[in-house]
Amino acid sequence: MIEIDVTTDSQGIGVVVPKGRLTMVSAPQVRSTLEQLVDAGTARIVVDLAETTFLDSSGLGALISALKTARKAGGDLRIARPTEAVLTVLRLTNLDKVLRPRDTVEGAFYV
Amino acid sequence: MSEPAEQAERPEQPGPALALTAPAEPDVVEQVQERLADLWESEGVDPGTAMRFEMGLVEILGNIVEHAYAPDAPGRMLTVEVEVRDGVVRGTLGDNGQPIAIDLSSVTMPDEDAESGRGLALALAALDELAYERDGGRNRWHLRCGT
Repeated sequence: MIEIDVTTDSQGIGVVVPKGRLTMVSAPQVRSTLEQLVDAGTARIVVDLAETTFLDSSGLGALISALKTARKAGGDLRIARPTEAVLTVLRLTNLDKVLRPRDTVEGAFYV
Repeated sequence: MSEPAEQAERPEQPGPALALTAPAEPDVVEQVQERLADLWESEGVDPGTAMRFEMGLVEILGNIVEHAYAPDAPGRMLTVEVEVRDGVVRGTLGDNGQPIAIDLSSVTMPDEDAESGRGLALALAALDELAYERDGGRNRWHLRCGT
């Protein structure tokens, strides 16, 4: 199962922290959390993956879907601090360009 | 109630270290990953090998749950077997779903903005071997990581 922390920083950037495995079991929950953020007017989102221990293609689909939704709303979705497992999946799927990992959550929108 | 008679000691059999039969529903993924975490620890599997095997297995499991059955098909059951020998991890997934027509050599990674369709391509990239067969009315997938 997954636990998802959601906060908004002083710049109005949403920070989403999925804690646990992001697979077909939890992807719908992550997808709707991200969509709700954009719907509520937070179109700039950082997904902090430091505590996401595993990512599958369903989880990737949720991130790509949210990325498109955020961009349509004039914002963007960025990922930060991926674990080794997440990084491996990004590389194997050639998504490490479109979802380029940032080193920090705070700097994700400034680098 | 009497104690069951002690069973005669069986010869050492290198059976699967993980064997599970479960309904083909999304929750099976979580169940299998919990069991794999224990297996990796008890067998001391190389973390990179373990990670790639688990990625492949989770994708094939997801594929079975999402695509092997007609909508509302009753009695969806799948089996998972995993064994570790000499650092090589092998797995077999079986299901009683519909036969699938697939040529694994023609699977490619979809475009970067696709929201689905990466499962098999990711499994192929992560695993050292992936094979599919239809056998006795069941689908069977064979997975291997390590040499």
